[in-house]
Amino acid sequence: MATFIFLVAAAFCIAGAIGIVLFRDAIRSVLSLVAVMLALSSLYLMLSAQFIFAVQVIVYSGAVMVLFLFVIALMGPVREQPSTRLRFQGLLAVIVAGSFAGLVVAMLGGVRYRAPDKGAVLSTFGSVESIAYGLFTTYLYPFELTSLLLLVAAVGAIYMSRRER
Amino acid sequence: MSDITIGNEHLDASWFLILAALLFIIGAIGILIRRNPLVILVCIELMLNAVNLTLVTFSRQLQNSEGQLFALMSITVAAAEAVVGLGILVDIFKDREVEDVDELSELRG
Repeated sequence: MATFIFLVAAAFCIAGAIGIVLFRDAIRSVLSLVAVMLALSSLYLMLSAQFIFAVQVIVYSGAVMVLFLFVIALMGPVREQPSTRLRFQGLLAVIVAGSFAGLVVAMLGGVRYRAPDKGAVLSTFGSVESIAYGLFTTYLYPFELTSLLLLVAAVGAIYMSRRER
Repeated sequence: MSDITIGNEHLDASWFLILAALLFIIGAIGILIRRNPLVILVCIELMLNAVNLTLVTFSRQLQNSEGQLFALMSITVAAAEAVVGLGILVDIFKDREVEDVDELSELRG
């Protein structure tokens, strides 16, 4: 059953990702991204990351995607023309992406797995409690810095959307 | 050693890593061949999601929740990046239509 769910979710991910790249309309690309993110969230659930699953659905598939859809609604449809500045762009992109894919495959072939850490309790693994414990002890400073980053982003977005400056 | 037990089945961690690598590469191809700045932002989000999948996979394989912590922070950073990126796009689109990211070259010296 787990293998079946993984294969279905992986198929949704790949199909959605290809849809993002191939659809001409921006709105279809964004909706494909929603499909990818929902399929990924089911994979997170399989990997017993319940909290990340909830965050993925609420923050990504909810908030960020609504933001993208609002921007598309504001800008209206944009027809995409083939590039005029760079010739052979598709060919160049295939070459660059192909060498990059070779790099990633070589890295995957060299992965050496380490034995799991001792002392982990799988029944509470990925729960809010275990994440919050790390977040408010060892990683308190990075956590505070991300909240500062969110504040800066919010202020910056408000500043940019003002009419006159 | 790389087995991940789900229910009473064993999945290999490398399956998840291969899926993440595929998503990352497809996102990179999208950034290279698409012209619409909004779709390029969407492709960046796709690549960030692929990295999150890697973090969560290794977190599960090592049974160490630190990977999930980093995934959480990367989701936060991605949300901030989307807000600022879309804000800049809306600001530019108020003045004119942009069909191609190559038109956005005002900062070139």
